[in-house]
Amino acid sequence: MIRFRVDGRSGAPPYQQIVQQVRQALRMGVLAIGDQLPSVREAVAVTAVNPNTVLKAYRDLEREGLVEARAGLGTFVRARPPGPPPGTHSRLGRGLAAWVREARAAGLDDEAIESLLRVTLQAAAEEDIA
Amino acid sequence: MTWVTWRQYRYQGALTAALTAVLAVVLLITGLHAAWAWHSALAACTKDGSCASLPDSNLSLSNTTIAALVVATSAVPLLPGLFWGAPMVAGELETGTNQFAWTQSITRRHWLAVRTGWLLLAAAVLAGAVSALATWWSGPDNALTADAFKANRFDITHIVPVGYAIFAMALGICAGALLRRTLPALAVTLAGFAALRVLTSQWLRLHFMTPVTVYYKLTAPFTPNGSYLAVSQGIVGANGKPLTAGPNSYGYNGAPIPAGCMRFTGSPNPGAVVPCLSAHGYRGYVTYQPASRFWAFQGIETGIFVVLAAVLLGVTFWVLKRRDA
Amino acid sequence: MTEEGHRMTAVIETSGLTKQYRRVTALSDCTISVPEGRISALVGPNGAGKTTLLRLLAVLAAPTAGRATVLGGPPRQDPAYLAEIGFLAQEIPLYRRLTARDHIGIGAHLNPRWDGESVRERLGGLKIPLDRPVGTLSGGQRAQVALALTLAKRPRLLLLDEPLAALDPLARRNFLAALAEAAAGGDLTIVLSSHLIADIERVCDHLILLAASRVQLCGDTETLLAEHRVLTGPRKDTTAIARTHAIVREDTTARQTTLLVKLNGPVIDPAWAVEEANLEEIVLGYMSQDDAGHGAGPADARLSAIGGDR
Repeated sequence: MIRFRVDGRSGAPPYQQIVQQVRQALRMGVLAIGDQLPSVREAVAVTAVNPNTVLKAYRDLEREGLVEARAGLGTFVRARPPGPPPGTHSRLGRGLAAWVREARAAGLDDEAIESLLRVTLQAAAEEDIA
Repeated sequence: MTWVTWRQYRYQGALTAALTAVLAVVLLITGLHAAWAWHSALAACTKDGSCASLPDSNLSLSNTTIAALVVATSAVPLLPGLFWGAPMVAGELETGTNQFAWTQSITRRHWLAVRTGWLLLAAAVLAGAVSALATWWSGPDNALTADAFKANRFDITHIVPVGYAIFAMALGICAGALLRRTLPALAVTLAGFAALRVLTSQWLRLHFMTPVTVYYKLTAPFTPNGSYLAVSQGIVGANGKPLTAGPNSYGYNGAPIPAGCMRFTGSPNPGAVVPCLSAHGYRGYVTYQPASRFWAFQGIETGIFVVLAAVLLGVTFWVLKRRDA
Repeated sequence: MTEEGHRMTAVIETSGLTKQYRRVTALSDCTISVPEGRISALVGPNGAGKTTLLRLLAVLAAPTAGRATVLGGPPRQDPAYLAEIGFLAQEIPLYRRLTARDHIGIGAHLNPRWDGESVRERLGGLKIPLDRPVGTLSGGQRAQVALALTLAKRPRLLLLDEPLAALDPLARRNFLAALAEAAAGGDLTIVLSSHLIADIERVCDHLILLAASRVQLCGDTETLLAEHRVLTGPRKDTTAIARTHAIVREDTTARQTTLLVKLNGPVIDPAWAVEEANLEEIVLGYMSQDDAGHGAGPADARLSAIGGDR
């Protein structure tokens, strides 16, 4: 079962963090189709956020077609977000980990790495438009 | 709420029971000893006919011991009011636990009523038990000295201690509710109780009913029967007015000796002046409450204290409901 | 605005609630509304009137003016009303010499609906001993005991006065998690006060701001966040903005003007950079209003910020 982490200090509102974590778990294969998401009560006991936050996140996921609520039973995974299979994600994740090790060895700190990533993403986006 | 009261007071209850047991044991031992001593003395004097000259004091206990026991026993009615009553409301207000108690599904009145009820009962039972013991204990003494109506015996025997205890408890609870802090409530309870007790036993009690006044010839002194309560006594002159010592007083019971009787004052027999005084119209008087009124007075005094207690409790209920917690 | 799960029946509704002592006005003209099922943050500086408001709702004190309707009637000293509310005072007043088990017994004897098993379960899960005098427990443990006892009453409204004040960060987290879990059922409305919004904003979906014994803000956090924005731009005249929107707070440096505004439509002037405000900024903005004397007064903020049900 997935365990949510809500960071009060990150820019994203709590419900969005939960949505993102579910989507990422689906991409990575941590959650498979048919798995049950934590009940609102369980999620809230772990994260100490308002129950409506979790409800809102689950509703958003339901609207996207990723999960479905079965009355009286809970919320279950219905589909994966579009994209390559979990295997690809894991492979790319491993590749990224290697690159991060190399960057760290070269002397880059987290801020520099994040900055580099953002700039690269931006440049790639501009390339796509052009 | 009864269960709750017992749960909260179990330590106090145990402690009080222990202390009372100690006092009871002391009273028992000294009482038994005094009774034994009296019965022996009675047996002895009956044999040789000297009963009229039995000493005027308790045969086996020193005056200090008696005084100490009387004080301890007199304090008993006050103590529950002081140690349980004063903190009952004040303690909760000080620690804030009333915010817990008064947000359970119970009205403040119900909370107060049950606790007060049990504490009053406990105080009454305690005072009653000690009073029964003290009544038994002062038996021999009263037989000798006819002291039962006097303040230091009347106050610790029969039913008035129960009235005192109920009043002290009500005063403690009321003081705690009004003052909202335990120490000031303790002080007020102590002072209030002491003041009322002194006022009652030294003055009020003497006048519950119109006292009886008897005038007697100086040559035939009169002492009221049994355990009476003396209000005042002395000498009246021919005009019926009480005489007090003056500049020419030779101190016969504090009354001045008239000129015509001065010649008797040099006599080695102090009683020699008496017939002369009598001839001048001097009489003795004693104003007192007869022994037959003993139980009526016990009832009246208990009634006064209980009525006052009821008034104080009424105030407490009103205050508790109206005031902010 | 309504959403599934966001009910709008008011559990608490007050009008002009005032509490006056001989020399001090603890609460002045307080008009708020708390819909059912909310976890409401009652924030404000010390002395703002938060404790007074909670005590009035818990019928531990009586108002000197104004009305309050809680769960369909005025707060009253009767067992039926008291059974529906739970109150936890700031000093966590438990009987220090009695054990948690004793307190469970007290609750069982004094309440019609009592779930003692839930207390034993909850404290067992937190490894808090049931048979030690509660005075010997740590602050965090006592707070959990008190919360468990208050929840065991199965109230419909929970009023908590600065419950986090004496707790360390871990204890705070556990307490908030326990609260959120209790509210997950949907039948419970919670009002908890704090003088720090940051502590409780993750668990709250409704906000009441008291400052200087008056209500400055009252409404769902979602609405408040949607209605307010932070505008930054080069230092300039703000009259144009002030004509359409309500300026809550204005800060100027030599070069820059920063505004916290309550929106009344879109911001058209491109000179202003518009960002979302976070809850703390909004709270601080309204709290500092009396000092700055700028922008919308409390009255405007209150009228349009109360729920959405007017």
